[in-house]
Amino acid sequence: MLGDGTRDARRTERYLDGLMAADGRSAHEFPVDTDLDPAIQLAARELRSGLTRVYPSFRFEDALATRLAAGAARLRSGQSLEEPGAAVVPGTVAPFRSHSALGVDAATDAADPSGSATLSAAPAVLAARARALSPAAAFRRLPDMAARPSRPLLVGGVGVGVASAAISIGAVYVAWRHSHTPSGRMGRAVRAAHGRATNPNHSRRAGVIDGILGVVS
Amino acid sequence: MLGRAEEGTRPARLDRDRGLVEAARRDPSRFDALYRKYLAQVYSYAFYELRDHHAAEDATERVFMQALAGLPRFEERVDAFIASRVPANPAEAADISTFRVWLFRIARNVVANERRRDRRRPVSPLEAAAELSAPDDVVDTATAREAVSEAWRAVARLPEDRRRAVILRFVDEMSTAEIAAVLDRSEGAVRVLLHRALRSVADDLASGERSGRLGRLS
Repeated sequence: MLGDGTRDARRTERYLDGLMAADGRSAHEFPVDTDLDPAIQLAARELRSGLTRVYPSFRFEDALATRLAAGAARLRSGQSLEEPGAAVVPGTVAPFRSHSALGVDAATDAADPSGSATLSAAPAVLAARARALSPAAAFRRLPDMAARPSRPLLVGGVGVGVASAAISIGAVYVAWRHSHTPSGRMGRAVRAAHGRATNPNHSRRAGVIDGILGVVS
Repeated sequence: MLGRAEEGTRPARLDRDRGLVEAARRDPSRFDALYRKYLAQVYSYAFYELRDHHAAEDATERVFMQALAGLPRFEERVDAFIASRVPANPAEAADISTFRVWLFRIARNVVANERRRDRRRPVSPLEAAAELSAPDDVVDTATAREAVSEAWRAVARLPEDRRRAVILRFVDEMSTAEIAAVLDRSEGAVRVLLHRALRSVADDLASGERSGRLGRLS
């Protein structure tokens, strides 16, 4: 004997099956079940019309298809699905070297001939490297570092670098404009007007004539 | 009553994706057909669960990569699922895809992990609904958006298990049997989940209508 809840659940399932089938046939009228609560029927229809299938972008679809094809090719050739470069390699400690640190490094290298100590290396080796890399040691090495060929330092990333370059180009252009008087018609007219304003002895008439001659010539 | 030989061949007849799956198992590059067939369904499931296009894309990629890698292990699962399930009628039997069930089990796990990791970045249902494409016509667009928003709001308020069942039923158009297999529940439990989900949505819609009427009156 079925309980009320189970009976209602079965009735709801039948209604949903009918609703999906009507959609599949593109039927305009939806099924009606007189025994099922009308509010539930309405909710089912609302969800049916509101919960639409969503499609990803073509770009994503094609990009993933390409990645899957590459993975399939690797599987076919007996490799793993992951790209070789994607595999995680064990971390290594590889300190920066300087001329003054060579002595320390020589000592530690003697203990670790491979040149790079793995994370599981002997504590003595790691302690020696830590001493070599301590802030005080680094500070003492500063003159050595300054003696090396310097490399440009870009602070703030590529965006800041590009902005800085643009400002520099702008400053150079302004300086060039100041040093080269304009030879165009407008430039001559401006020069004439400027000369009239700055030189009170220069008559207004002469200024106008200069301007006209400049414009005409 | 089926003989032993017939019982042995029945799974091959029932599974509508059997041909594609076998081709993909022989040659992994043939997996593309399965990928194209189920991309929108998996993506929709991920999108409705995660409510973010980028998160849905990430999850979809992970699902298909895991499916491709796990395809050699799929055969046993097919037989296990089909053996555990005797279809109620021939129409239902013709519609069963054990590959789809298996794929959505992967999707369920991937999305659950994603949700667990992504709880710190919730996206409102309305915001996600606004991203859904709608028809060009302005009135149709507004109506469609409104319908989508209402449905989203109602579904977003459902408890997790009911919401999953609703999405699989309405968006991915799965049968109760398939949903039961994806969610690792009995069919009876899924029926009850769906019924209770619809009851909650009905209550939500009724209260929304009441508050709308009050808003218009005030």
